[in-house]
Amino acid sequence: MTQFLQLLAGGVSLGAVYALLALGFVVVFKASDVVNFGHPALLMIGAYTIARLGLSQVAFPLAVLGGVLLAALTGLVVQRFLVAPIASTSVVTVSIMTIGVDILAQTEITRRIGVDILSIADPWGDRVVRLGAVDVPQARVAGLVSSVVLIGLFLAWFKLSRWGIAMRAVADDAPTAALMGVPRKVISALAWTLAGGLAAVAGVFITAFPTPGLQPATASVALAAFPAAIIGGLDSIGGAIVGGLVVGLAESLAEGYEERLSFLGQGFHSVMPYAVMVLVLLVRPTGLFGTRELHRV
Amino acid sequence: MSALEVDGITVRFAGVTALDGVSFTVAPRAIHAVIGPNGAGKSTLFNVLSGAYRPARGSVRFRDVDLTHRAPYEITGLGVARTFQNIALSGAATVEENLVLGRHHLTRAGFTGTALRLPHVRREERRHRARVREIADFLGLTEVLHAPAGRLPYGDQKRVEVARALCVEPELLLLDEPAAGMNAHESALMAHLIRDIRDALGIPILLVEHDMGLVMGIADRITVLDFGVRIADGIPDEIRRDPAVQRAYLGTEGES
Amino acid sequence: MSKVDVAVPVTTVPVSPRRTRSLALPAVATAVVVLAAVPFYLDRFWLTLGLFAFAAAVAAIGLGLLLGQAGQLSLGHAFFVAVGAYGYTYLAGTSRTVGVSHQGGLGLPPLIALVLAVLLAGLAGLLFSPVAARLRGIYLGIASLALVFAGQHILANAPLVTGGYNGRTVPPLTIGGFGFDDGAPGTQLLVLGVPFHREERLWYLGLAVTALAYLYHRNLVRGRPGIALRAVRDSELMAGMMGVPVTRYKGYAFLVSSMYAGLGGVLLALAFGRIVPVTFDYAMSIEFLVMVVLGGLGSAAGAIVGAFFVASLPRLLDRYADVLPGLAEPGGDGVSPAVAARFGYAIALILLLLIEPGGAAGLGRRVANRFRRNR
Repeated sequence: MTQFLQLLAGGVSLGAVYALLALGFVVVFKASDVVNFGHPALLMIGAYTIARLGLSQVAFPLAVLGGVLLAALTGLVVQRFLVAPIASTSVVTVSIMTIGVDILAQTEITRRIGVDILSIADPWGDRVVRLGAVDVPQARVAGLVSSVVLIGLFLAWFKLSRWGIAMRAVADDAPTAALMGVPRKVISALAWTLAGGLAAVAGVFITAFPTPGLQPATASVALAAFPAAIIGGLDSIGGAIVGGLVVGLAESLAEGYEERLSFLGQGFHSVMPYAVMVLVLLVRPTGLFGTRELHRV
Repeated sequence: MSALEVDGITVRFAGVTALDGVSFTVAPRAIHAVIGPNGAGKSTLFNVLSGAYRPARGSVRFRDVDLTHRAPYEITGLGVARTFQNIALSGAATVEENLVLGRHHLTRAGFTGTALRLPHVRREERRHRARVREIADFLGLTEVLHAPAGRLPYGDQKRVEVARALCVEPELLLLDEPAAGMNAHESALMAHLIRDIRDALGIPILLVEHDMGLVMGIADRITVLDFGVRIADGIPDEIRRDPAVQRAYLGTEGES
Repeated sequence: MSKVDVAVPVTTVPVSPRRTRSLALPAVATAVVVLAAVPFYLDRFWLTLGLFAFAAAVAAIGLGLLLGQAGQLSLGHAFFVAVGAYGYTYLAGTSRTVGVSHQGGLGLPPLIALVLAVLLAGLAGLLFSPVAARLRGIYLGIASLALVFAGQHILANAPLVTGGYNGRTVPPLTIGGFGFDDGAPGTQLLVLGVPFHREERLWYLGLAVTALAYLYHRNLVRGRPGIALRAVRDSELMAGMMGVPVTRYKGYAFLVSSMYAGLGGVLLALAFGRIVPVTFDYAMSIEFLVMVVLGGLGSAAGAIVGAFFVASLPRLLDRYADVLPGLAEPGGDGVSPAVAARFGYAIALILLLLIEPGGAAGLGRRVANRFRRNR
């Protein structure tokens, strides 16, 4: 039983970090109608910056700030110079363009990291916190707390602030929002900037534990943002959060019960997000909370 | 013996009842119009007839064959062809290619045969393209057969849509607002065309329309919907005098 | 039927009386002739480069059919390529033990193994199509991503097929006694004075297969299936109402495109001579997508151009690393050729989409139109 609770705790905290990733991804989709295949690259840019700053003896909080700012800036630059100019063409075209961005960014970062493993110099290390009957790594707790806080802040901003409401308007009905004076480009830029920042924060926690540090392979962990967002429904903010949690839990449980699931093959836990995604899509073709297309001819 | 029997069709979307127990019949060689104020459910009805929507209740029978729960392509295979309110052509494709699409259910050429350009596939293609050219000729589209359909003016695109529906070799033609966006002269031509088609092919034509002039001019029978409910059904003179219809249109007899 | 009296003339769009001819077929035919002469003039480096380019081209044409014609976004192409590559290797290979790894194999005649591998890839595509039928747009794209990861997972857990992490050798292809390898030791095949080794022989195989693949695609898209697929792409609802059984055609699209991928996979395996599981990953799927978009969606000639570009670039940069500034030779300073190649086609993709979303085919059309207008 303790093992189950342990895995549950781990899964929820991992899921919260995935939720951060998926949230940024979905926000960009809702605000600018683009599937950003470069989202893992934003995470890598943020994490790499933080690692490098840490190696240069910059204090952890400042390093994180640096990484967040750079990733956010990258998102903004991509939106401003690459997405906005061709925003009028099809969604598919712009989304495929982000593939180009992803290849560029990740190739460069992989080149810089090489065969090294860069520590993110986090203050939690391997230390563990005892919560009731279970031991939870400090890094995971920090991840959970940060995610909850950030998601909470985001939701509050989204529901209550002027810009948040403007973003919801654009996501709902862009042409009408434009007619009502909402600047679509600014909202789009805001979304991409936010996505970059959130991805960087997620990058901290994905790199901090349990891996020894940042490697090129970290990017494939970040890919889990896609199935998480799809599971929740690509145009649902709440869905992104739920999707992230589902993916985190599924991965954690699959890894924990690996021996019992050995018939599924070794290393099944890394395929788990995709397996869950396919199962969800078979039942709900647009994700758990995604809008089902209304066909109008 | 009626050609089309619509019986008690009810359609609900997310709490809104778009059609409520709508029933009417269309006679074999009739031009039958469905009219009503905006939002009355006319296009929803068409979408049920062509298989895009599943009704919650009711049935549609065409020549005694149940259409109600069939897939759209099966319904087309039974000879039901339609045009669309907002033009649904492939804009980048030529007019000819758009028309050839209508021949799909009448042709057999498969992947292997087409890829290998087998003789029977080439023969079939020649035969059907000839027929497509005939139909294009009938509608005065010969000159633009090789133009991208999306570049034609609106009225001509509407004509391409009608041509495409005729390429299906329909036994029942559904025209969704064929005169939308047309001036008086173009509407008159369209009315002429609809009557010519009925006379030449001898098939029933069901049309949804807002243009009262056109409807009163050519319809043999009119069904009136309002808020998804049938409020009147009869010949044009009866409909013109019907108080319920006048009320639904706020006391006017509709647009000129 | 009598003609309708049309008062409004329908000649508002200027159009040439004859159907405008695409220049793609003559261009491809010319290319085939030129390419047939290559083994007599160029060395092994170019032949090897060509083998990989042909393999990529065949698979890319398949993805082009799926994405450009049928409008189905698939990020899982690498999976079907893997089915072809490993299908052929396992079916034609023999069971043996190499070091500590045991390899399985059915030892079938290579030509049979090739055909079966392609059919197997097609079957995989067919099995995926019910999933694809229920999904639209980006949901389909990311669901197909699952295939790649499933494939990697399966390969990692099937050492009998893959020969383990270090891979296994690919059995050479023989057709009716003629081997696409260096021939029996001591013998030499001379054609017009030029010795034909493995690369020369495989070159003609690759060229022939690519040419046939192109023709098959071309006939398909001009005929009834192409019209139906494009209708499905433009509007599934409209296509259904025009009589196209949409689900069935999506299935056909996946079937044919995965067979193309499988065939490309077999050619790839033959080109490599030795395959490892990690080759067939997410990055490979992305590369195929880049090839097809660079070339121009919907155009087979474009897909071939895109494939040649993406497949050749790393090898070209590698060969000329000493001449090109900034490129590192092995162990040296600078950017490695593989990395530079990736930068190259990523930038090409971004620039192209900013300027001409129609890809190389779109540019080709622009050039052809200008040429026609100036006559």
